Amino acid sequence: MRRYGPAVLLILVGAAVLRIALLSDLYLRYVQGGLRPYLVASGALLGLLGLVRAALTARAARYGTDAADHGGHLVAERHDHLHSHEGSPRVAWLLVLPAAALLLFPPPALGSYSAARDEARRAAESVGAFPALPAGDPVDLSVSQFGSRAVYDSEYSLRGRTVRLTGFVTPGDGDAWYVTRLRVACCAADATTSKVEIRGPDAPETDTWVTVTGTWRPRGELGFPSAWPPVLQATTVVRIAEPSDPYEER
Amino acid sequence: MVAARDFLWVVRSGDGAVRPSGVSARDHALARGRLTDVVRLVARTVVHVVLGGSALVIVVTVAGLLGPALALDLYTPPVAAWWTVFTAVVVQGIPFLLLGALVSAAIGAFVPERVFTRLLPRSQALAVPVAGAAGVVLPGCECASVPVAGSLMRRGVAPAAALAFLLSAPAVNPVVLVATSLAFPGNPQMVVARFAASLGTAVAMGWLWARFGRSGWLRLPEAPSAGPGTSRTGSFMAGIQHDFLHAGGFLVLGSAAAATFNITVPRSLLDVFTVSVWVSVLLLAVLAVVLCVCSEADAFVAASLSQFGPVAQLAFMVVGPMVDLKLFALQAGTFGRSFAVRFSSATWVVAVVSSVLVGWWVL
Repeated sequence: MRRYGPAVLLILVGAAVLRIALLSDLYLRYVQGGLRPYLVASGALLGLLGLVRAALTARAARYGTDAADHGGHLVAERHDHLHSHEGSPRVAWLLVLPAAALLLFPPPALGSYSAARDEARRAAESVGAFPALPAGDPVDLSVSQFGSRAVYDSEYSLRGRTVRLTGFVTPGDGDAWYVTRLRVACCAADATTSKVEIRGPDAPETDTWVTVTGTWRPRGELGFPSAWPPVLQATTVVRIAEPSDPYEER
Repeated sequence: MVAARDFLWVVRSGDGAVRPSGVSARDHALARGRLTDVVRLVARTVVHVVLGGSALVIVVTVAGLLGPALALDLYTPPVAAWWTVFTAVVVQGIPFLLLGALVSAAIGAFVPERVFTRLLPRSQALAVPVAGAAGVVLPGCECASVPVAGSLMRRGVAPAAALAFLLSAPAVNPVVLVATSLAFPGNPQMVVARFAASLGTAVAMGWLWARFGRSGWLRLPEAPSAGPGTSRTGSFMAGIQHDFLHAGGFLVLGSAAAATFNITVPRSLLDVFTVSVWVSVLLLAVLAVVLCVCSEADAFVAASLSQFGPVAQLAFMVVGPMVDLKLFALQAGTFGRSFAVRFSSATWVVAVVSSVLVGWWVL
C-alpha cells in the first residue's frame, strides 16, 4: 500500500485544488480571483500525474519489477532521512494537512478578528480630483473607494449622492460600529483593512454581512488624519448572506 | 536461500577442504536461531497488539466523547484565522511550485548539459551576473525558483551562478516589476530601485559564494531519476512528482510558520518603531522575513507601510523574495539546513545593505 503514497498524495492535493477552484467559489476565501485558471490547471495536472503514477505503480507490482520505485531507492540509500523507501519524500505527507482541510472543512474567510488586528490604513494617496462617480441611485461603491473619495477627493464627488456599501460589521468604541472589508492583493496573508463608520441605525451583530445605504457625512480636514475614518449617515441596513467573494480586489 | 548462503560460506572459507560435520552444526545453530526469532516475533506482535489496541480504544473513546466539544472550544477566531492564512499561503503557492517543478524537470530531462556550458561564460565571475540577469525570464514567485536552481546545479551549472539565479528570479521578473509600478503609481524610481537593489544583491551573493562558499555546506540535490532504463518522458514525470512533493512538504512547513507569525505578531507593534530611519529599515527587513508575502503581492503590502519611508519599503521588497520563512524551509529541504542557515543570513545582510545604498542613491 505504501508504494501508492505519491500517487495518493498527488490525487489528494489535485482534488482539493479542484474542489475549491473548479467545483465552487471557495478559492476566493484564500486567494485573488485572477488565480483561478492557474489553480484549475494545476489541480487537473496534479490529478493526472497522480493517476499516471498509480497506473505505473500497479503495473510494476504486477510484473514484479521495481521500476517505479527506483528513484526513491537511489535517493533513500544515499543519506536522506526525509525520504522513505517508496519514492515519496516523507516530508510530503504534510501536504495531507491543507488538502484534507480544504476537502473536509474549508477554513472560513477572514473576518472581524483579522480586521481588528490590522489597524485600518489609508492608502498613500494625495488630495486630488477623482473620476466622476458612475450613474445610479444608490451608487454601489467598495468600502475602500468610499474611503479614498471621502478623504482625498478635492472635487467632493460624494456630496449629495446616495451610496450603498457592502461589508461585515465590526464594533467600535461605545455605540459606534463600522462596515468593514478586507482587501487582498495575492492571498489572505496580505489582507489589509478598510472601514467606514456608520451613523444612525443600531449595530447588528459583529461579523454579520450587511449592505448599508446612506449619504456621506464630511468630517475633519481633507487629506488629514482627522478626516479618518469616513462616516456614512445610514438610512437602511440590510442583512445579507456572505458573498462568495469576501475580499475587495486591489 | 539458506543453502545458497551456506554454499557461499563454504566456498569463501577458502582452502578447499569442505567439512560436512561443520556445515551440519551450523544448520543446527541456524535452526535454533530461527526458533528464537519466531518466538521473539510472536512476543513482539502480542505486545504491540495489546498495547497498541488498548491505546487505540482509549484514544477513540476519549476523542469520540470529548472531541466535538473540544474542537468547538479550540476553534476560536484566532485559530480559524490561522487555518485560513495557512491554507491561503499553500493554495497560492501550489501553482507556482508546480510551474517550478515543471521547469526544473524539463531542464533535467530535455536540456543537455552542453547548452549551459555554452550559454554561460566559463569564468564564474562572469557567469554570476549573466545568471542573475537570466532571472528575468522565470515569471513566478519564490516557490518556483528553488527547484529550478537545484536542477540547474545537477546539470553542471556552477552553484554560484545557480544561486544568483535563485535570488534574482522571483525579484526582477516582469510580473513583479509591473505589480510594483501599480502599487507605487507615479513613482517609477521605486521600480528602478527595486530592480537594481535586487539584482545587485543576487550578483553580490553569487560572487560571495564563488569566493567564500564551501561545497561541503551545500548538499547537492539528488537526481530524482526513474531508474537507468527509463525514457526521457519517464524521468520528466518522475522529476515533476519528486520536486513537487518534496518542495510541497516544505511549503506546508513554511506556510505554518508564516501563518503563526501573521496571527501572533500584532501589527500595531509596528507603529512604535517608526522613530528612526535605521530602525524602520531593519524592522521592515525583519517583517519581510516573517510575513512571507509572495513576491507578486509584496509591493502592495509595502505601499501600505508608507509611514516607514521609501528606503524601508524598498528593503521590505528586496528582502521578501530572497529571505523568508517559507523560502528558508524550501531551501533547507533542497540544499540542506547548514546551507540554508548560512545562505539566508548572509543574503539578508547583503539585501539590507544593497537596498540602503540603492535607496539613498535613487529614491
